[in-house]
Amino acid sequence: MYNAVPDEILLQVEKPARYVGREVNMVKKNPDHADIRFAFCFPDVYEVGMSHLGLQILYFFLNRREDTYCERVFAPWTDMEEKMREAKIPLFALESQQSIKNFDFVGFTLQYEMSYTNVLNMLDLAGIPIYRKDRSEDDPIIICGGSCAYNPEPLADFVDIFYMGEGEVLYDEMLDLYKQFKKEGKTKQQYLEELLKIDGLYMPQFYDVEYNQDGTIKSFEPNHKDARRVIKKVVVTDMDSVFFPEKQLVPLIEVVHDRVTLELFRGCIRGCRFCQAGFVYRPVREKRACTVLEGAKRLVETSGHEEISLTSLSTSDFTGFEELACGLLEEFKDKKVNLSLPSLRIDNFSLDLMQKVQEVRKSSLTFAAEAGTQRLRDVINKNLTEENILNGCKLAFDGGWDKVKLYFMLGLPTETEEDLKGIAHLSEKIVEKYFEIPKELRPRPVTVNASASCFVPKPFTPFQWDAQDTFEEFGRKALIVKDEIKRRQVRFTYHNTMMSSMEGVLARGDRRQSALLYRAWQLGCRFDGWSDLFDFSKWQQAFKDTGLDPAFYANRERSYDEILPWDHISVGVNKSFLINEREKALRAETTPNCRQKCSGCGAASFGGGVCYEV
Amino acid sequence: MKYRFKLYKGDEIKYIGHLDLLVAFQRVIKRAKMPIDYSNGFNPHQLVSFASPLSLGLTSCAEYGDFQLKEDLDADFVMEKMNEQMPDGLKILSLVKLKDGVKNTMTSLVRAEYEVFFTKDITKEDIEKNIDGFMAQKEILAMKKTKKGINETDIRPDIFWMKNISDNEKTGFKIQVSAGSIKNLKGETVAEAFCGYVGRPYDKYAIKCVRTEMLMDNGEGEFVPLNYGVER
Repeated sequence: MYNAVPDEILLQVEKPARYVGREVNMVKKNPDHADIRFAFCFPDVYEVGMSHLGLQILYFFLNRREDTYCERVFAPWTDMEEKMREAKIPLFALESQQSIKNFDFVGFTLQYEMSYTNVLNMLDLAGIPIYRKDRSEDDPIIICGGSCAYNPEPLADFVDIFYMGEGEVLYDEMLDLYKQFKKEGKTKQQYLEELLKIDGLYMPQFYDVEYNQDGTIKSFEPNHKDARRVIKKVVVTDMDSVFFPEKQLVPLIEVVHDRVTLELFRGCIRGCRFCQAGFVYRPVREKRACTVLEGAKRLVETSGHEEISLTSLSTSDFTGFEELACGLLEEFKDKKVNLSLPSLRIDNFSLDLMQKVQEVRKSSLTFAAEAGTQRLRDVINKNLTEENILNGCKLAFDGGWDKVKLYFMLGLPTETEEDLKGIAHLSEKIVEKYFEIPKELRPRPVTVNASASCFVPKPFTPFQWDAQDTFEEFGRKALIVKDEIKRRQVRFTYHNTMMSSMEGVLARGDRRQSALLYRAWQLGCRFDGWSDLFDFSKWQQAFKDTGLDPAFYANRERSYDEILPWDHISVGVNKSFLINEREKALRAETTPNCRQKCSGCGAASFGGGVCYEV
Repeated sequence: MKYRFKLYKGDEIKYIGHLDLLVAFQRVIKRAKMPIDYSNGFNPHQLVSFASPLSLGLTSCAEYGDFQLKEDLDADFVMEKMNEQMPDGLKILSLVKLKDGVKNTMTSLVRAEYEVFFTKDITKEDIEKNIDGFMAQKEILAMKKTKKGINETDIRPDIFWMKNISDNEKTGFKIQVSAGSIKNLKGETVAEAFCGYVGRPYDKYAIKCVRTEMLMDNGEGEFVPLNYGVER
């Protein structure tokens, strides 16, 4: 048994179990016998990374190859980072406890923009030069995937390959090729050039950008004959035959989501206009209920977990939902396995189901209303009416619930003061609904928790051209809502406005932001998604030092003919569709969901999923 | 049927705290498909309990606890099935079916034994020379964390014996001390007091502490391991 970090250090840091591995179902291989060593890095702390389904899938997917040893790496928490730097311990992988500097691939999953500085910090801790230009033949290939990789440009100077799409599709081909090239003694550069032949992989070094005087992009051109003009994401088309792990890593300390996670489908039929996931994961591709059920049985057996969670963007939209829910209840009713059902639409069936799975304990009920008025909900194509919400609450209150959570966004396009006050009014109407129940049937006081996030326009959404509010505006708007709330049963909280501003900058960033990220990292930015560690003043300093203007990225409305930094990436949804959606948004016109009527977004080009359902 | 286990907790898993260990153990029971019994009430939980929490970073060759199965299964079979599912560093060393009326480990526990090893500051000679003098003191004041905060307490009455166990490879002593819910003394606290007595600095990160036994009163004034005389 060997730990990269000696006991006397482990004893001094918070939660040392984050750094020693050896969890249940961890893959053990002899590192010397692996042709390919792959470090799967999650640029956040252990407990967050271990809760990520994508990690669980790719870990077992890559490790099913005998020639490959995929190991996990998480961002050491600040106390550990300090100790590692002091003792000159390089960043290591949990499985072998070996430094990742000599791995073949170092892969990062980019789940949120605020983890970017952690990517830089992890490279540095590993002793790998942060800038691609400073790396040599001996350094690993740096590859990034995940939803934020769809706008790769802010990290373009650091990363060798951006993988567009779902990992199951290309990794085998890529790794086979790598092994062959390595055996033939070819260089990393030759390998990367060969990868140009595969669609779905973006290698920033093969493209040059020029800018206009006003800072917008003048041209974005390939500089290699094999480089594609547009890189199109790759997706799995048959969700029933695609690899799904038999096992799940079971952490030995409590993590954020400590349970069996079941994937029902990828994508979402809804098309909410603010939601990046709703566009970049198109088209909807479902598993059959029996496939999910089989997976559930196996994972519960091999993990020992006592909770199952169904995860997908909008669980109720699963066509086999009733079949699955009943199947799960039947299978696990005597086994003391709880079902957790996030993102359900509230109706009689789902309430009945929740009654069954939660028997006594009644957690709170959540509605993602997103906006305070019907007009604004139409703008964002959020297919949920006030009537839906109030009826849902009525059903829930009758069923014995007394807590309601509401999610809203501040700063949505076209938002007015009336929309803001609508947040308060809707929350209060729910309280009033509770009081419609006869007094003797409501033993406890009702609470309505309304929380607001700050809208961040994201690439590949109809609002990718829109200006984001400044953090001062967000703060002002939050106060309007707060002042409008009169009932004490309503609690209102809102997200860190400055953090949302930074997210807004990075989400639509271009290549010049690599310098910004590097400077922010130098100034000590880490774990920027953690409000206690996020330091806006450091970011402001980084803007000053690099001469970049945050307003240019976040608070500026773009014209439709501007070249956007991510225009060379295709998620399968056409730009013309997004423009049309934005125009409809401005007219507060809604668009039917994929099952009601195809709107011709372009995702049918993948040849599968909901686009071909009969 | 109630069972009492004696569990080994090794270096591989010493950074897992008490509550996490309990959860990990419960998951072992589930993976081994043991018909575990649950409590009644609003939040049913597995009927598993441990005698006493072990400080983070300590290893042990004698963690005790009880669990209750819905069926009467052979103890060796249960032990084998569970050991197949154990995470690295955990192993059930013995498992017995409990007689009726045996108090649970948590209430039975009154004493524990620890081996304490020093990696610096204290030498074999220090232990040899000072062990008798240390134990001859009428009063040993030590800072002890209690529910009310950190207090200076006399720990002498809670140390029953102390032995030098140093050899060519290791420098350390073994102690038997009070343990359980009424009075509890940690090996580390004794180590700190010993360093103070010898006049050496105490570096809590430079000692290694192993819990080697947990004892109960057998009713005849003898202190015996928690799994003695309890088998059905």
